[in-house]
Amino acid sequence: MPTPAPKVLVNEVSVTFESHRRSVLALDRISLQAHAGEFLCVVGPSGSGKSTLLRVLAGLLRQSAGEVRIEADHPGSPLTAMVFQEHALLPWRTVRDNVTFGLENRGVGRAEREARAREMLAMVGLTRFAAHYPHQLSGGMKQRVGIARALASDPEVLLMDEPLAALDAQTRTIMQEELLRIWAALGKTVVYVTHSLEEALLLGDRIVLLSARPGRVSRIYPVDLGRPRGLEVRASPAYGALLETIWARLREEVVRAMAEDRGPDPDRASA
Amino acid sequence: MRRFGRWLAEHSIAVGSPLVLLGAWEWASATGLLREAFFPRPSTIAVHLRQLGADGTLWGHLGATLVRIGWAFALAAVLGVGIGLAMGLWRGLREGLDPVFAVIYPIPSILFLPLVGFLVPPGEIAVVVTTAVTSFFLIAFTTTHGVRQIDRLVVEAATHYGARGWRLFTAVLLPGSLPSIFTGLRLGLGFALIVVVAVEIVSTSRGLGALLWLSWQILKVEDMYATFFVIALVGAVLYYGLAALQARLLPWVQDVADR
Amino acid sequence: MPVALLALWEMASRLALVSPRYFPAPTTIGAVLVDRLAAGDLGAALLVTLARLGLAFALAAVPGVLLGLLMGIARPLRAAVEPYIAFVFPVPKIALLPFLLIILGVGEPAFVLTGAASAFFQIVISTLGGVRTMDPRLLEVGHNYGAHGARLFWKVILPAALPAIFTGLRLGLGLALIALVAVEFIAAKSGLGHLVYRHWQMLSTPEMYAAFALVGALGLLLTRGLRALQARLLSWQEESF
Repeated sequence: MPTPAPKVLVNEVSVTFESHRRSVLALDRISLQAHAGEFLCVVGPSGSGKSTLLRVLAGLLRQSAGEVRIEADHPGSPLTAMVFQEHALLPWRTVRDNVTFGLENRGVGRAEREARAREMLAMVGLTRFAAHYPHQLSGGMKQRVGIARALASDPEVLLMDEPLAALDAQTRTIMQEELLRIWAALGKTVVYVTHSLEEALLLGDRIVLLSARPGRVSRIYPVDLGRPRGLEVRASPAYGALLETIWARLREEVVRAMAEDRGPDPDRASA
Repeated sequence: MRRFGRWLAEHSIAVGSPLVLLGAWEWASATGLLREAFFPRPSTIAVHLRQLGADGTLWGHLGATLVRIGWAFALAAVLGVGIGLAMGLWRGLREGLDPVFAVIYPIPSILFLPLVGFLVPPGEIAVVVTTAVTSFFLIAFTTTHGVRQIDRLVVEAATHYGARGWRLFTAVLLPGSLPSIFTGLRLGLGFALIVVVAVEIVSTSRGLGALLWLSWQILKVEDMYATFFVIALVGAVLYYGLAALQARLLPWVQDVADR
Repeated sequence: MPVALLALWEMASRLALVSPRYFPAPTTIGAVLVDRLAAGDLGAALLVTLARLGLAFALAAVPGVLLGLLMGIARPLRAAVEPYIAFVFPVPKIALLPFLLIILGVGEPAFVLTGAASAFFQIVISTLGGVRTMDPRLLEVGHNYGAHGARLFWKVILPAALPAIFTGLRLGLGLALIALVAVEFIAAKSGLGHLVYRHWQMLSTPEMYAAFALVGALGLLLTRGLRALQARLLSWQEESF
């Protein structure tokens, strides 16, 4: 029986940035897929192009080579909705109006917008702040609004760019649980970028490990930790083993990236 | 009533200090410590102020000034915001007009009076246009700045969530520039008052500036002070009035940009 | 673009599309400008205006910054003085001129003080704003690392407020120039503002425009120059406004 087409298909995608006289290769022939309903995590050192990949998927950035395909099964739904790393909320709109921004742009009626906003704000725990303005919220709260906005948009694929990175550890843990619950309930396809390997193992079905710049697919790891998954999985031996294995590989890439940043040792230059 | 009492207590120095000063002035003037010819007593000034109000002179001049400011500000605001937005959105226009504006803007408005007099029929129109000149440049400049300082990431996110073209303009670019536009409007209004008073001194016979100058020329010092007080009142109402309006209309702006 | 406009003006004037008496050609104006500068009278007027400006600015800047700083540090002082500043700030300072003319007579002191008044309030407000809106954490860091009292002031508060002070000085200079030129236009018998007025009355338009252009050039140079100086001296500041 033929396998259904992947929900997200990335085929030999490269991205080169041109600035003044230099061109930087950010992504080098990335190929990966995400199946419908899958939670795909992308990890890698700083500069590996994780965010760049996400922006290509979101259509915010044009790739220099290769193709991207997202299967649209629900007419009327946008292909993607992204949760940005720096919230990117509209400062002149209340929390509620920020959440329904995408819906408003698509012409969704007021009653439905309000219902959806109520639902999403409840999901991220911000019901009390619906009429507040972004500048009145903490960083973590703003991030939660961003998540609510993406969810409210009801996209084919949910893109998340380190959405929990700015939260304190306690809130982050709670939100991770929430995300697992929400995802189990909605069944969305998610592409999730994170720095934290622990988080990727907790949330993901598969982990894509990118190399240091230029970003290539170093390895793709299946995460067989069972579903439904809760925080208790962190105590399981399978989790520990996977963490060690992937970290060994990731560590190499991180060290390589840091060496890049440091540049040639000035004291060694003239030996 | 209790709230007013509390406000009074908190602002006791701020309220008390001018009262004390006025009291001291009254005393110094009466006892001759201050030359009464230069510094008439506040009580006398108040009497003259009431007189000017009663016989209608004050209202006539005040009205003339306010009407001129009204027209000039409307002119400067409409043109300024319009052109400012256009310059903010289209680089070509901005790069073309910027040098021209930069040269004209620092010139003191009053110097435009002769020029404007050559271009438009002399009289009220010339006064209004001259008053509008510097305000126009100010408003255009702050509007352009307002458009350009919008966080690119926010625009990107908005586009990503489906805002394009006209929708992007009304839902993102315009609200995003509003704080800056408003600052420009406030400054522009302030400048309009400054210029109109100066122009009235030079070239008209009606208006607060004209009244001030006239009082000086016939050496009615009390009337001078009274007129100054009215001008100050107008200035304060315009300036702080718009500030209050801004707080009302733009609740998301957390700092007042001029301080 | 400005060149294009000037060329347009030149043509319009020469072809009498606009009245050449009211709008003499830029080249004519330029010639007169050079002429008058060489003859010295335009230069003299420029110097007079500059002298007044310098004096007015000095008179406004020193007390202005001082007052602003003191108000920023000492709350009771701020409470006492703020209402006056707030009340007079929106008033056109040109309205002070008649009073100064009476008290000081028609002459330089009245002119210069009007200009100084224009700059003074802006400088106080900007300086005060600089002190009040500085990052409070900087004060904490200062205390923590042993800076108190006078040292805290010189090493932390003053540098933190410097960008705002500088902006205030820049704006103040511009305001002083505007006020002084207006005063010269209205009441003085010397200076660039007066020249514009006199030539206007005599309808010797090329001279009028020449003086006008000089005022514009002066204003432009001052604002640009100060802004460049600010960028140079305060290079740690990322945002400039």
